[in-house]
Amino acid sequence: MSLLKPFSKLPGLNTANVLLVESEEQFQQSLADVLVEETAVTVNVRLAKSLPLPMENEESRPRIDLVVFIISLTSELSFQSAEASLKCLDPGYFLGKVCFMVTNARNSSVPPERLDAVRKLAASLHCPLLFAEDQTPDGVTNAAERLLTILKVAAGLVPMATALYLSSLTRCTVPPDVDQPSFD
Amino acid sequence: MDDSTKRLLQRLMRRIPTQMLKTTLEKWGRLTAAQQQSIDFTQAKWALTEKLLAICEENEWTAKHIAELEMTYVTENPNQGMWYAFQLMDPEDDAHSVELMQFKEQFKSHLGELVRHVSVKIKKHTDEAVWIRIAWGDSFTRPNHLKPTYVVHHLQTPFVFVTSLTSKQKPLLSQALVLSTRYHAIKDANLSGRKLTAIRDLLMRQYQQVFPTRYPSPLAEENQTVSNPRIEREQAGLAANRCQMACEAFGDGMLPQLQSAVYKLETKFRDHTNKIMTEREEPFRCVVKFTSTNLLESLRHCASSGIASTPVTPLLSSIPLKGRNYFVITDNGPGPSSQMHPSQN
Repeated sequence: MSLLKPFSKLPGLNTANVLLVESEEQFQQSLADVLVEETAVTVNVRLAKSLPLPMENEESRPRIDLVVFIISLTSELSFQSAEASLKCLDPGYFLGKVCFMVTNARNSSVPPERLDAVRKLAASLHCPLLFAEDQTPDGVTNAAERLLTILKVAAGLVPMATALYLSSLTRCTVPPDVDQPSFD
Repeated sequence: MDDSTKRLLQRLMRRIPTQMLKTTLEKWGRLTAAQQQSIDFTQAKWALTEKLLAICEENEWTAKHIAELEMTYVTENPNQGMWYAFQLMDPEDDAHSVELMQFKEQFKSHLGELVRHVSVKIKKHTDEAVWIRIAWGDSFTRPNHLKPTYVVHHLQTPFVFVTSLTSKQKPLLSQALVLSTRYHAIKDANLSGRKLTAIRDLLMRQYQQVFPTRYPSPLAEENQTVSNPRIEREQAGLAANRCQMACEAFGDGMLPQLQSAVYKLETKFRDHTNKIMTEREEPFRCVVKFTSTNLLESLRHCASSGIASTPVTPLLSSIPLKGRNYFVITDNGPGPSSQMHPSQN
């Protein structure tokens, strides 16, 4: 099985490459449109529905600095697809080069167990968990900004900060009472 | 003008929305120019109804005229009520050369023989469809114009579309249709929907079909919503494949608007962990119903976005392929549709 490897290719000058993985293929499109508008750094965005990525693109694909899994909490399939895709990443990515982004967390029809499950997953992998609002342009811009902060560090473009250092500060933690029933 | 005619006109006026009234009356063409001018279409519905009743008295119209007006309205707005499709079977040698006058005479005479009092109106629409309005009566009562049956038939095709038909009237209509179109039998096509145009387009395949090709590359590029060269889709090839297979199964562009699909399962329960259910002798009966404002569009999207696996399962793709939306699934495969053989006397 072909794993995606973090350091097997050379980096580009002042370039950051991000891979957005989303089962629904909706939010990744609008997020990508905002991400490429960044001027200080050249941002290249690759979009995928799931991993593993096709072999045909192996040659032309640049070094991926950050892999973002976009999970929509309204769909169980979204979570399962992301979980299955994790197996196709080289372990080197989990030192700060993977990030989880969750949408529709405020939706009342979402079972709370799903968010807990995503939290546990992110915490066990020492990855940050971002919440995004994908319906409005403002929400998309905000999500893109936060993602860019992490991306610049992961691509090595921020002096004195490495991806591993940042992830130890931003990684998701699960509160100790997560298994207790919540007040609803 | 008698009470029943008045009631018929009132009922009809309730049915026609105000914005359609002017055009419908113009199309009908029985009002004189002066009368048409004298109606103020911005009034409330009840005022318009009164005005039309007055004109009706003036012109001495009968139930037949009102029925004609109703037929004009329904012909122009066929997407109401529930339409059922039927298919004629086993044509005679001259079934394909039945033309309008012959069909009209034969149908009227056959139906007249079967039902003592019946009022039949046949009209050919601009799009080659023959519209039939039937008001049913029996040996003792006059035809009931309040509950007419509408039948649409395209000559030289085996398809018939019917609305508002009771089970008592069904064998009579079937007999008359079979004899006048020179076929041997008529069966239920297992297709129903609210929009006549949709079920007609589905059965007669009047939507954009996509045929399997070896090199579908022009279609693949159409899907590129990405214009920025810095954004690249890794799995564009796979997405294009899924889209192609979805379009091959359901068609491209605007699809006929079906509202529902019903699958009636009469299969055995299969789950090894549940002994009680699997040991039952009788088949497990279950009905699965899909509803949507545009069912075929939803199914096509399911297939192209990967929610439904591709190649599309025959259970779903047989909706457009066989032109039905009611299926009976038994363990050996989809069941036969119900047959109807009117008796020959």
